[in-house]
Amino acid sequence: MVQVTVDPVSRIEGHYRINTEVDGDGVITDAQSNALLFRGFERLLQKHDPRDAALMTERICGVCPVCHSIAAANALDDLFGVADQVPKDALVMRNIHQGMNLIASHAAHIYVLWGPDLANPAYHDILIQHGDMGSAVWGELSGRFAPLVNQYNGIRHPAGSSYLGAIGELRRLHEAISLFGGKMPHSVLQHVGGVVYSPHIGDIGELAAYVSKTAEFVETFTLGVSPDTWIENTYRASSPQNAVDFLLERLQELLGNSLASNDFSHSSGWGDVPLFAAFGSELIGEQLLDLPISMKMDRAGGYSDPDKIGFLSYGLFFKPEKGDGYDPGSPADDRVIPSGHMNGHLELEEFDYRKISENITHSFYVDEEEDRAPWNGITVPEGDPDKINYTGGSESRYSWAKAPHYDGIPCEVGPLARLLIMGEPLTTGLVRAFEENGYSPANNYTRMIARMQEILVVIPELMKWILQDLEPDAKVAVHTDLSMAKDSEGMGLWEAPRGALGHWIATGPDSMTTLYQAVVPSTWNLAPRNAQGIPSPVEQALIGTKISAAENALGVDYANPLGILHTARSYDPCLACAVHTIDRTGKHPDQIIRVL
Amino acid sequence: MMMDRRTFIKAVGVLGASLFLQTYKSDMAKALNELPETKIVWLHGVECTGCSISMLDGESPDIVELLQIFNLNLLYQEVLMMQQGIFVDGKPANNSELNSEILLDEILEHERGYILISEGGVPNGPDGSGKYLILGGRPYKEVYERAAKNASVIVAIGQCATHSGVNAAESDVSELLDHRGIAFTLEDSSKGIVDLLSINTPVININGCPAHPDWVFLTIGALALRKIRVPEDLPEVLDRWKRPKVFYPPDHTVHDNCPRRGFYDRGEFDLTVGGEKCLWKLGCKGPYSHADCATRHWNGHRNFCPQAGSPCIGCVQAGFPDSTRPFYVEIEDTGIVGTDLDTIAGVAIGGALLAAGAHAIRRTVLKKPEEKKDISEEHAPEKTGDEK
Repeated sequence: MVQVTVDPVSRIEGHYRINTEVDGDGVITDAQSNALLFRGFERLLQKHDPRDAALMTERICGVCPVCHSIAAANALDDLFGVADQVPKDALVMRNIHQGMNLIASHAAHIYVLWGPDLANPAYHDILIQHGDMGSAVWGELSGRFAPLVNQYNGIRHPAGSSYLGAIGELRRLHEAISLFGGKMPHSVLQHVGGVVYSPHIGDIGELAAYVSKTAEFVETFTLGVSPDTWIENTYRASSPQNAVDFLLERLQELLGNSLASNDFSHSSGWGDVPLFAAFGSELIGEQLLDLPISMKMDRAGGYSDPDKIGFLSYGLFFKPEKGDGYDPGSPADDRVIPSGHMNGHLELEEFDYRKISENITHSFYVDEEEDRAPWNGITVPEGDPDKINYTGGSESRYSWAKAPHYDGIPCEVGPLARLLIMGEPLTTGLVRAFEENGYSPANNYTRMIARMQEILVVIPELMKWILQDLEPDAKVAVHTDLSMAKDSEGMGLWEAPRGALGHWIATGPDSMTTLYQAVVPSTWNLAPRNAQGIPSPVEQALIGTKISAAENALGVDYANPLGILHTARSYDPCLACAVHTIDRTGKHPDQIIRVL
Repeated sequence: MMMDRRTFIKAVGVLGASLFLQTYKSDMAKALNELPETKIVWLHGVECTGCSISMLDGESPDIVELLQIFNLNLLYQEVLMMQQGIFVDGKPANNSELNSEILLDEILEHERGYILISEGGVPNGPDGSGKYLILGGRPYKEVYERAAKNASVIVAIGQCATHSGVNAAESDVSELLDHRGIAFTLEDSSKGIVDLLSINTPVININGCPAHPDWVFLTIGALALRKIRVPEDLPEVLDRWKRPKVFYPPDHTVHDNCPRRGFYDRGEFDLTVGGEKCLWKLGCKGPYSHADCATRHWNGHRNFCPQAGSPCIGCVQAGFPDSTRPFYVEIEDTGIVGTDLDTIAGVAIGGALLAAGAHAIRRTVLKKPEEKKDISEEHAPEKTGDEK
């Protein structure tokens, strides 16, 4: 048994460590997910004006600040009792704000954080064994995805074309957000009762222009076809099978054009999605398209026991058709991407918040109760330096993250969970195909394809919100007064780009905050084990995954553990989100947050 | 024309990054031929990665052009590099091209005289152990100490690094956490990590939550071109919070160039969000906030917070967020008057009180004696220079 540790896992948000045990065949047999930083964020909201929550909590994360400010604003709407009156145009503005940040965040993850692993030298060594085609594909991978700081065999390599293009998109979308949000990161739009800026007609034209430019990037770099064509045949396909057929036909057509020339460049139609869709998967690439080689991402990062995993979405984007106001406790009906829970056998059921609890058996917290509902959470950080130790193995306490579970089962959250629960045809079709062929339906390949697909799903919705739903110079906030927050409670359910996000707040008789709690996506995905010893999603995904590139294609190389790197990064880790603490002050020991 | 420091600083302030580069292109090119590369080590402590993202949002130059134009060699940056820490049976594996811990050790061992960009603060807790952040098996505090002592200058970017920012905000666990800024923790210069660890490397603070990419890029550019010499020029170019005065002018606040200033002068104030008028009564801290946001603007120079309808929350100020929250309460009602307040702010308040009319003046008269005392103290001319 060999111990392979990645510490720190770079190219993520925050500070993170993965420790694994690997057997002689190069298969991971045990794993611990360690969150390395304790920041103590929510405590600093206590005893302060609750209205500050949107601008304070967005500072939890600089990659996805917008979702925190919206989850907080939703919780404040509830706290002040105005959620049913929030103007429709404010809700549309929340959608636009979130939609732009979601695309920017996904682009940053796919290209800047996750993508560089495709330019790992191990793929060079594997691909050049496959003649001109292999060399050509390696040329594309390294030429598109190499990061800014990258040296190979002593020579500095320039950053990849798609990598640099994505930084430009991130910049463009943040510029668009600044038009109505003041600046980005940490924009200032969200406020209790609505938003603080009402766009003028000129702003609306500009926003649409920004999104059109992003669609151009997607056409040139990401897809190789127009986003409209793609969406028409995938997101709007009449069945999951039709969506998968479209993808396969598209890939076959591209291969037909390129097999002789070995030209897999952007200009010959090989966008980043088709390139990854064909060469990333053993099932799609090698079995269905007869390619000689693939990166076998579908063999890695899956779940071996469907009874120990679920998928969860709290629901995302308000439906503008519903008009003013929304029900903060019922995100099932009024969200474009619905809330829901799907078990490991892919059976969908209604989402019931009361089934969530958080466990600290393996976390560095001190509490007589190991399992609590998050809205009852009491969290006291370990204060003894000698007890903070990450090397004690799976039985020990080993993380600053808690372990949330739904009905006792850990859940994956994020684009794959959302699109599955939504029934998005391409994602659903691919997942079924993997399941029918003996693969884990969730794996590193489907997780990344879902993230790419969600960008495509959001672009046309974003255009609709901007051009059809948003009224210029409309009323965007209801008036509130601090006294409305006296002795109250609020809940804001929303989604971060990387998964389910909930904020809870309670106030005392002076209207000041007594409790603040955020349950965030990376806590779900990157938790330690729970009390029953069930590993978290990322730990389950690591166990059984091969340690080295493409299923140990060149033998076992413990010193280049791509199996860990791809799998850990496929969840888009955001550790600043994952690690947090809250407890109730002694003043209101009996206070229970309302949960609907 | 080779610029001297004065011209350079003036040009940076007046022109902004892109125009500056356009105007002084030949000067840059000439400088580049004569100057060796400048090495950069960029460390992440207690932070949200928002400052890294803000730097990716920079343009004209963008971060890639920045590295080229100023001949910078970015040695270590955890968000932008290929490497990660890799250990096999507890021992570092592979080499520095894939293993960040080997790379970091090589840097700590051999590199000297680099610019250290510090993003995020440094955890000192619990009990001075620094174990609230352990990376590669060692407290970040220890790595930081070595990296900082070997640097020629520390550029602290963003509020978590400059003053510990939201990490040090008042809470019942803030003492236990003991997250430190580099040269200050909130307004306390005795609590910076450099004092604690006896690090003598000069510090330049680029405040803001996040820091504006222009502020960082132009500071780095000025250092690389030796337009700002370290340490001899620092007392002149930095204010008392170690911020470059050119971006955080002692005699100028966000309020001065606010597009809503006309409403303020006429005494017209928004009382609920979503309007067009002055945001003073909604808690705007613009008159207290020394930064060029209102002229430089953010994200492609498009906008800044009050123009987008939000009160300025003073994210560049030393005591942020405690000195400026509650964000949406008019400053005379917050009880925070006297914190980090200076001449310009005092004048602005005077103006606002006149504009706001009798109601406000009556309140001023009713102010408690100790509050009045605070104000008169803060009317003293602002001190400048290095006085750590």
